Amino acid sequence: MMAQTRYDAIMIGGGHNGLVAAGYLAKAGRRVLVLERRDRVGGVLDTVELAPGVRAPGVAHTVGRLRASVVRDLGLTRHGFTPIEPAIRVFAPQPDGSALTLWADPVRTAQELRSRSTHDADAYPGFDRRVRSVASFLAYLNAATPPDVKHLTFADLLTGLRAGRAFRDLGKKAARETTRVLPMAVADLVAESFETDAVRGAIASRAVLYAAMGPWSAGTAFVLLSDSAGNDGGAAGQSTFARGGPGALAEALAEAARSFGAEIRTGAEVAQVLTEDHRAVGVALGSGEELRATAVISNADPKRTLTKLVDPVVLGPHLVWRAKNIRTPGVVSKVNLALSELPVFAGADDPDRLKGRILIAPSVDYVERAFDASKYGRISEEPFLEVTIPSLSDPSLAPEGTHVASVIVQWTPHALRDGDWKAEGKRVGDLVIDTLERYAPGFSKLVTATQVLTPVDLEAEYGLPQGHPLHAEPGLDQFFAWRPLLGHARYRFGIEGLYLCGSGAHPGGGVTGAPGANAVREILADLKKS
Amino acid sequence: MAHRYDAVVIGGGHNGLTAAAYLARAGRTVLVLERRHVLGGAAVTEEVFPGFRFSEFSYVVSLLRPEIIRELNLPSHGLEILPLDGTITPLDDDHLWRVNDHGKTIRELRRWSKSDAEAYEEYGQLMVDMARFIKPILSVVPPDPGTMNPFDWTPLVPLAKSFRNLSPRLQSTFVQLMTMSATDFLRQWFETDPLIATMSASGIIGTYQGIQSPGTAYVLLHHYMGEIDGAFRAWGVPKGGTGGISEAIGSAARALGAEIRMEAPVARIDVRNGRATGVTLESGEEIEADVVLSSLDSNWTFVKLMDPVHLDDDFLREVKRYKYRGSSGKVNLALDGLPELACKPGKGEWLRGAISFSPGVDYMERAYDEAKYGMFSSRPYVDMIIPTLVDPSMAPPGKHIVSCFVQYAPYHLADGRVWDDQMRERFGETVIDTLEERFPKIRDHILHKQFLTPLDIEEMTGLTEGNIFQGELSLEQLFFNRPVPGWARYRTPIKDLWICGSAAHPGGGIMGAPGRLAALEVLKGSSRRAVA
Repeated sequence: MMAQTRYDAIMIGGGHNGLVAAGYLAKAGRRVLVLERRDRVGGVLDTVELAPGVRAPGVAHTVGRLRASVVRDLGLTRHGFTPIEPAIRVFAPQPDGSALTLWADPVRTAQELRSRSTHDADAYPGFDRRVRSVASFLAYLNAATPPDVKHLTFADLLTGLRAGRAFRDLGKKAARETTRVLPMAVADLVAESFETDAVRGAIASRAVLYAAMGPWSAGTAFVLLSDSAGNDGGAAGQSTFARGGPGALAEALAEAARSFGAEIRTGAEVAQVLTEDHRAVGVALGSGEELRATAVISNADPKRTLTKLVDPVVLGPHLVWRAKNIRTPGVVSKVNLALSELPVFAGADDPDRLKGRILIAPSVDYVERAFDASKYGRISEEPFLEVTIPSLSDPSLAPEGTHVASVIVQWTPHALRDGDWKAEGKRVGDLVIDTLERYAPGFSKLVTATQVLTPVDLEAEYGLPQGHPLHAEPGLDQFFAWRPLLGHARYRFGIEGLYLCGSGAHPGGGVTGAPGANAVREILADLKKS
Repeated sequence: MAHRYDAVVIGGGHNGLTAAAYLARAGRTVLVLERRHVLGGAAVTEEVFPGFRFSEFSYVVSLLRPEIIRELNLPSHGLEILPLDGTITPLDDDHLWRVNDHGKTIRELRRWSKSDAEAYEEYGQLMVDMARFIKPILSVVPPDPGTMNPFDWTPLVPLAKSFRNLSPRLQSTFVQLMTMSATDFLRQWFETDPLIATMSASGIIGTYQGIQSPGTAYVLLHHYMGEIDGAFRAWGVPKGGTGGISEAIGSAARALGAEIRMEAPVARIDVRNGRATGVTLESGEEIEADVVLSSLDSNWTFVKLMDPVHLDDDFLREVKRYKYRGSSGKVNLALDGLPELACKPGKGEWLRGAISFSPGVDYMERAYDEAKYGMFSSRPYVDMIIPTLVDPSMAPPGKHIVSCFVQYAPYHLADGRVWDDQMRERFGETVIDTLEERFPKIRDHILHKQFLTPLDIEEMTGLTEGNIFQGELSLEQLFFNRPVPGWARYRTPIKDLWICGSAAHPGGGIMGAPGRLAALEVLKGSSRRAVA
């Protein structure tokens, strides 16, 4: 006889996927409790105070991949989510002082490319169409629960048919193209269409963001196409901001969930998943408090969920061994900079060109070399950077006239060969400033405050495994029916009553809400049975 | 005078000969046309230096399909495989030596890591089970992913069934093998750096990938195919060199009634109203045939030997887009005596197997990184064997030959560098320097050296860009995308023109499978085109 209330579902972790799932479950009339270790929800959707009056994205800085149906179903705009969508997608300054701009409108991009290369200008619209057509097929897969290879159910067949139809809708040529393209190295994919390093680098780099892979790695083409699935990214990718910073989206998700009746507790760290005869029945908090639920849902990463939260005896040695081998090579550092004024980038005639993602990725080889260093546990002196200046489109983030820059730095391996992260942190900050100084002379003088989050910090602060923002490497060996593990990709995870709803589940990382929304479909089906 | 054949086969490589043998065996009149004076294509034995005979290019065998050996009765045609026992990885002042004697290998591994020694057993068994499942794929005709005709998918149904019946453990292992890098895959079991590097090496042979590149794990399986065939151990050298295999298949083909003409280079595949009608030789002679089989790569078959007017643009674009990117070279040495390893002096049996220059993962990865940016590796991965230790007939008494497979030597060099004589010399000497680090006195033994760059391989064997597999074995170029997406069924857009070389599924290596499968498809009599 339990003293306190019994929940239909308990959510371990209040990241965006956890909040999305909680929202949908509550909307379906289920009693849901979200338990968040930190003092605020959102996980990597975070807004931090960088300096007095200066607010910066904690980790993720764009939110354009968020599934449209999630925004609609949970009424996020009603709860304060305001997307800002600049017409500029990418600004890529080059070593020669010129710069490349990718616009939301492929035609406009092609026009500007003409001055650089008529070949690439002619190729761009076609490439954009190809990306969109394959991405449209991937959008079907991303919305589906991966099939159960062991016993195919009727539902799986329907899914298969739907995907099959989507596949056929591509047409014979596109279908062949899809099977050929997905496992490719993105370096080969862009080289097939474009001749200039600038265009190749700018487009290919999106396929390796957050990944421990370089553009020459097989399967990176899939990452690029998947990044464009279900949004209007196309060849350029999206560059959408949340007004007030990513934390505002987290708040909107939380508000939506609460409005449907979900309970959310912060500062409540789950220490263990409680099990009874090989079934998850609840959780125990660090405080020792025990809470019961029919469904225990983990928004934590899959490796942590199985190796830290569940009794290994219940899982059995083989599953524990497999969980330990889930690849989570963290290679990303996050650097936030407060700027006394807007930096002037060579090649940016108009400051508006800086409103999207600013890429320091002048060629595929540049990016690949930056990756190479990490294979030997080192950090390249010429890193690949994705920079955003959200204060340009959202002045509320910094005092009048000043700005904030959010920088994703690669590759900075969690496992450093020599030296440790306590010492290296500052170096990464300096490396970013020195690198940007090369493309925006005078940049370093504008910096009034610096915040560096190394992979070790990301792990400690946000609970990311080895600091991997995607919870598990987006490799071909960890996707769809085998993300995170073959036989555990249908959101039912490890043991009965336990579910996975975070980036470690299909369709993977990024601010999409997709794993959360997909997981709910399966959880509700099971709750109805019980 | 023009004589009409049921089938003419372009190219006397092992696949062309295998196809010819199977067609002749079915009573067809067959003519094989070989450009060179020796039979075998890349599987040839040549007396490069007086008294010293080399397996000039392809140098070991493990994949030759047992059904081919059986059905063509190759042993009676002189095929004899001499086992190569084990692999030694020389290190600065130690070595890692694995042999077929399992107990011995386990004891050796225990020196390095107890857990690796334990994992080795488990891993070996897992891979044998895996190979047992994979084998059927090698003899399945791939469907066209573009087709929605369920009939085309039926060959896959038994595979899907047997996959579903696999244990979850084997299922996930299969998925990992198809998608992971060799190194990531092996790290699940092993921690010993030289062990991981040496085992991973098989994953990059002939590819333009590093051992940490996704998609390289699959090849690890091939080393266990031989094991389950039971016919012979994983690796061996044919008596008389790899030319011995070609000679045996050729002799089998002749015995079955096939004609083989040497030094008869084909200039053109003759096509009339979308149908192949025969070939024209460089001599101008025209040879008519009901069907034409090409054992050459797609570049030769569709670009060099055919008038483009016969092919539609999409198809030609795919053909031209196909990646070759040869990445390996070969160094053949004639020695007046046996060299000794610094880390393991003496002339013991450790020299009778493969000597693998793969001391660690970083070493292998650096070799790849240099090639990635368009230069041959300053310290390459070398797979070295001394064939004369198992087959003394290859050299004069007391003398030896050394065969070094070298990676990486990219076909395309960057920064204006080209494969000229100086570059070949630099490449070859770099390899010998690499050998010298482990065999300090090897230079004193060298009588003759043959350096083969990817360009040399292309010019001598015709393999485009010197790719030893007639097309890079990257994930997007396997199975139904081999050699052209939608045309993996040995058929081509030209009626009665068939592909029967390594370019076709299941790909390269001295396997013979493409030749056999293509011939069997031809014999089905159907020249049904996959509807484009």
